[in-house]
Amino acid sequence: MAPTLVTNSIRQLRFAHGEMTQQELGERVGVTRQTINAIEAGKYSPSLEVAFRMAEVFGVRVDEVFHYGKPR
Amino acid sequence: MSFREKTAWVTLLAIVIVSLMYWFHVPNMLHPHPGAWVLHAMAASIAAYIVIEVVAWIVLRVKYPQDARTPRDERERLIDLKAIRVAYYVFIVGAIGGMFVTLHVVGAHVVGLGMVIYIAFVLSQIVKHAARIVYFRRGG
Repeated sequence: MAPTLVTNSIRQLRFAHGEMTQQELGERVGVTRQTINAIEAGKYSPSLEVAFRMAEVFGVRVDEVFHYGKPR
Repeated sequence: MSFREKTAWVTLLAIVIVSLMYWFHVPNMLHPHPGAWVLHAMAASIAAYIVIEVVAWIVLRVKYPQDARTPRDERERLIDLKAIRVAYYVFIVGAIGGMFVTLHVVGAHVVGLGMVIYIAFVLSQIVKHAARIVYFRRGG
């Protein structure tokens, strides 16, 4: 499978929100800790629904969580 | 390691253990006139598999009750679907190829055909759970 060009700022956002753990984010979004880890590492691109739920948890827009192209 | 990956390991090990037990009988099964005990060996291996699987599941559920209650998320469902697709090809190629060899090369009868399909199914299940583990390790 070709590497994805979708990058994300989940790690920065987690730390900006009281050093939220992957487990806590996973519970709030409705996925496992391993899935959060895979998304954060760029190994898995989530569905739109999960992407929007993440943005909602962080209180930001989706394009502030996920970016297409070079990492920010 | 996620709970689903643990269950994939448990199932893979259970199938491999039971398959090894079954394969000890295969040379005898290739006899031109295998008796009814061939079917008994299949039934016994299926029963052994179910026992191992149930015991292992109970142990995992007791040890990780929270994880066991959590439903599969989208990545885990996708991994399962990808693994099933790989296993499907293994089963189709194994069953059709095995039946062709059995009918045209070995010349075995209906028990031999049943055995070939059974072996193709077991191989496909081994591949399915191995693929699940690989996908879990790779992240998706």
